[in-house]
Amino acid sequence: MLQKLYSSRFTPERNYQIAKWTFFVIALLLIAFAYVDVGTISIGSNNYNLSLIRLNKAIAYTIAILGLQVVIGYTGQIALGQSFFFGTGAYISAWLIADHSWPFLLTLLIVIPSCFLIGMILGLPALRIRGLYLALLTFGLAAVFPSIVKLDKLYGYTGGAGGKLTSNYKFIAPSWLPFDEVAQALQKIPLLGDFFGDGPLSTREESRLWKFILFSLLAGLCFWLVHNLIRSRPGRAMRAIRDNETSAAVSGVNLALTKTLSFGVASALGGIGGAIYVAEIGIASPDDFSSLVAIYLIVGLVVGGVGTLPGAVIGGLIYALVPDWASSTQSIAFVPERWLQGPTGSLILGVLLIVLTLFLPGGIVMGWRKFKTKLLGKELSTAR
Amino acid sequence: MDLFLQRVFDAITNGSTYALIAVAMVLIFKATTLINFAQGEQAILGAFAVLQLWYWGIPMWGAVIIGMLFSAVLAAGLERVFIRKFDPADHLPLVIITLGLFLVINAIAAIVWRFDPQSFPQLFPSGNAFTYNNVRLTWYSIFAFGSCVLVLVVFQTLLTKTKIGLAFRAVSSNLESSRLSGIKIGPTLQFGWALAAAAGTLGASIYAANPVLQIEPSMMLRALIFSVSAAALGGLDSLWGALIGGLTIGFVQSVVVQYIPFIPNEMSLSAAVVVLLIVLTLRPSGVLGTKAVERV
Repeated sequence: MLQKLYSSRFTPERNYQIAKWTFFVIALLLIAFAYVDVGTISIGSNNYNLSLIRLNKAIAYTIAILGLQVVIGYTGQIALGQSFFFGTGAYISAWLIADHSWPFLLTLLIVIPSCFLIGMILGLPALRIRGLYLALLTFGLAAVFPSIVKLDKLYGYTGGAGGKLTSNYKFIAPSWLPFDEVAQALQKIPLLGDFFGDGPLSTREESRLWKFILFSLLAGLCFWLVHNLIRSRPGRAMRAIRDNETSAAVSGVNLALTKTLSFGVASALGGIGGAIYVAEIGIASPDDFSSLVAIYLIVGLVVGGVGTLPGAVIGGLIYALVPDWASSTQSIAFVPERWLQGPTGSLILGVLLIVLTLFLPGGIVMGWRKFKTKLLGKELSTAR
Repeated sequence: MDLFLQRVFDAITNGSTYALIAVAMVLIFKATTLINFAQGEQAILGAFAVLQLWYWGIPMWGAVIIGMLFSAVLAAGLERVFIRKFDPADHLPLVIITLGLFLVINAIAAIVWRFDPQSFPQLFPSGNAFTYNNVRLTWYSIFAFGSCVLVLVVFQTLLTKTKIGLAFRAVSSNLESSRLSGIKIGPTLQFGWALAAAAGTLGASIYAANPVLQIEPSMMLRALIFSVSAAALGGLDSLWGALIGGLTIGFVQSVVVQYIPFIPNEMSLSAAVVVLLIVLTLRPSGVLGTKAVERV
């Protein structure tokens, strides 16, 4: 028994996994140190922002999309209203930070349970409403969120149309983290050192770096928990509902409990994403949580790959980078300027959504897996 | 009393325009059990085309008819390219495709015609048909309601009296059997999409022609929510239900919300969503819709 356990824990497969993740973490840290300062790349006459601000936003979107993976990807319920919970989490966190001067991490203790509960309550109709009807209802929910936070009665909590400022709260990196030492060590690397800026880090840079590390850790935690959830008994129940609701019910899956649970988990993840978003940009304003955001999050879900966990990361990056880069592209040869000044980002995301659904239904992740399988000639594993 | 009557008239005006978009959704739902999230955007694209034609000097109603034809052809093309290859029973890809169309059409309309609101030419005689104390019933309201009823009558006739209408009803009642009896499914559904888009364009044109509104690319998002609620309320597969639903939503928005003190005025959108929630939870088939029976 012990022998078996031992051998299964140290297979080459597992070593490969460990190496992969170590490499990933080191790469992430290197990127963080390289782009902690606002840097731009110029292609032609266009300047593209590359900084941790974008990546932090991407982390926020990634966690919200992870929630969509749970409810759409694994439970098969077409819930489009993630921006509602993204906004709810954002506003609760902003209110606690701004009016009660709570630290960011502590607000999550309120954000997570309240979003979980709201999601479960709003998920109750989903027990009766299915498929398209649910899509309609949740889309409606996303559409009304801005008008709810703009209500006069809630002005004291939400700051109305102007939004709620949280920038009085500063992220201060704990002094035991050797940011300066690491930065200077990296700068001394021959040839590559130039990428890592000059001299010790300023307080602002340190705080930005700390935010990135903190958010990444949070995201990693969320991924780990969702990964385990999917492989546990409730997760199997979710996938059974996705594949065939009637046969799941016949096999003894508690439909009501499992569905509301998945709604709750998805909403809680949306709330965490929202809280991170607000912590990054320093203000919660109603138009950041419109129904367009709900659709963009769906774009992230589909482009990354429905029902795949790494897909959420790709989706978050695409949502954070594509519209931003599209609006900083001011001139491309042979393209009329009119087409670059409008909502080009939205156009590109829409086209991506359609093209991927038509030609690569599993998104980028499934496409990559298929490619890898072809390359290695291995069987595609059915568990995903 | 005056105020109440005025609000009822407003309700009829708004309700008729919602009903026109709702009719478009109902047609597509009847055919394919799909809710087209891009319906509002297709309609606004059509309305912009009408505006453009009018700028080029085509008389207003001629422009509306050409605009309706344009959006019908466009919708038929969209159905052929993006919708037909998917299994109608698998909803997720279809919802995603219509959301993609929503983004793309919205962006194109905004790129071509810009975000600035523009005034839309009058479709109907201006002025009041009827005044009583302070109550005004404008010609616009009468004509909006009239065109809605007219469209419904025309559609009803098309669906019951023509051959393609018969085919459409056969397909919407049972896809497999109608395929077996030799009906060409694809073109029939395409016909449904074209009709729906034409109705939507008319609806958006009438909506934008409201003297108090201006046309802008994102104006349909609000109207879409109202229309969806209207369609669901009437029963998603009932044409006349769309009218009843539209009028009810208009009534809720313009009358009920005004008389409930603790609901602020700007919550009318939320009121529509609440109506949607109640209808879908308690009676998913709506007022006039057919009940769904599920087989294993």
